[in-house]
Amino acid sequence: MNRNGINAVEISDVWKKFNIYQNRTRSIKERLIFWGRQHVEEFWALKNINLLVPTGKTIGLIGRNGSGKSTLLKLVSRILYPSRGQIFVKGRVSTLLELGAGFHPDFTGRENIFLNGSILGFSRREINLRLNDIIEFAELGDFIDNPVRNYSSGMYMRLGFSVAVHVKPDILLIDEVLAVGDLAFQEKCLVRIRDLQKQGKTIIFVTHSPAQVRELCDLAVWLDHGEIRSFGAAEQVVADYTAFLGGAIY
Amino acid sequence: MLLQVREIYEYREMLKNLVAKELRARYKGSVLGFFWTFFNPLFMIIIYSIVFSFVMKAQIENYTMFLFVALLPWNYLASSVLQGLVSIVQNGPLVKKIYFPREVLPLSIVMTNLINYLLSLLILLPALIIFKIPLTFALFAFPLILVVETLFVAALVLLLSVANVYFRDLEHITGIIITAWFFLTPIFYPASIIPLKLKAFFYLNPITPIIESFRNIFFYGTWPEWNSLGLLALVSSILLFLSLAVFKHFQKAVAEEI
Repeated sequence: MNRNGINAVEISDVWKKFNIYQNRTRSIKERLIFWGRQHVEEFWALKNINLLVPTGKTIGLIGRNGSGKSTLLKLVSRILYPSRGQIFVKGRVSTLLELGAGFHPDFTGRENIFLNGSILGFSRREINLRLNDIIEFAELGDFIDNPVRNYSSGMYMRLGFSVAVHVKPDILLIDEVLAVGDLAFQEKCLVRIRDLQKQGKTIIFVTHSPAQVRELCDLAVWLDHGEIRSFGAAEQVVADYTAFLGGAIY
Repeated sequence: MLLQVREIYEYREMLKNLVAKELRARYKGSVLGFFWTFFNPLFMIIIYSIVFSFVMKAQIENYTMFLFVALLPWNYLASSVLQGLVSIVQNGPLVKKIYFPREVLPLSIVMTNLINYLLSLLILLPALIIFKIPLTFALFAFPLILVVETLFVAALVLLLSVANVYFRDLEHITGIIITAWFFLTPIFYPASIIPLKLKAFFYLNPITPIIESFRNIFFYGTWPEWNSLGLLALVSSILLFLSLAVFKHFQKAVAEEI
């Protein structure tokens, strides 16, 4: 496997198991009493995943609900760890799993930009440099100095999106969050993503929209029941997937 | 280990912001706001003075201050443990959505309480002067004792915060243990009244030399007992290394277990 910088993410032979407990025990007492007798079901969310994501490419993850797309994204971002196999990530990762995660409701939008930016691992200086862009992009106007608990859900998400895409990560992971705000804002998000693509950022993104994959991605992965069903040029994978879906429904 | 510490350092901005958040959010919406940080210890002094001078007359001279100089560092430990214990579980939504070194959460609680303790000195020092307790050069030992206590508290809180993800009833057990621990530490009584037979047992309690040292420098104006403090510094450093290693191992499944 090469590690000379051609690939931003290298996933080799990765498996991920979740233990599904019938009755989840959390107390010491119960753990002692039911030692080894607890009913645990194993669920393999990902099986034998091998994937190279070239630096600067945008890769779309498609597949039905429960196929392991989000799990894969969480493994790359190190929120979860693989049960087997290895993942190498080169560069700084910014994850968009949920917009505005980590906002404090009592703080103003401006304060939350600094809080959220720092949770994503960026310094005050880096955030300061982009503060105006972030505020402008979020279209919050004077609301930026109001506590975010007064925000509408649209405003909240716009701010969350704006922080994550402006802090300049090397790798951006996006999980179905592009359906934010009104159509005009969605269009703006797409423009912003194209900007990031032009700057040579690597983007991995989960979506249910084949159109978005065709439009934005160079490559695509189709996951089915935790396994890679197809991997290649976005156009081709989307065609395979929609053909399969058509067959599954009718 | 080195990588782990470096990564925590890289997230120092988050650490700083979380501490600022804790300090501000605690008093947000209250009229006196941040001044509560000072009013709490101030009211403590006033109430203790009334109770111990008029109601329950203590035999120790200046008992209010005798108690107060020991209670503040104890509160630093107890609040850090009780709040730090739940820090990862309480931030579950964040932990499941964003990657950051999880150590930042418990450490931010320790730092918040450390700053609160330092701020309470602004009440303690004038109070010592008012109660006519002489301030001596022994106060220069303060940063050293504080570092030893912080090492110990950080190690303990790191360990407990990650353990609580797996064993939720630690929350309840710890409350009881903290109460017992308070009574088994010479805080509201001097170490000199501990029966000789039990003395060794009391000095197994790692917080005893810390409390004694603080009382020495603030109340008696004497230097700490360097031997026991030095030993504790060594033990705490080893414990901190162990805690970091244990944390590193168990934090991997934290997002799944919460």
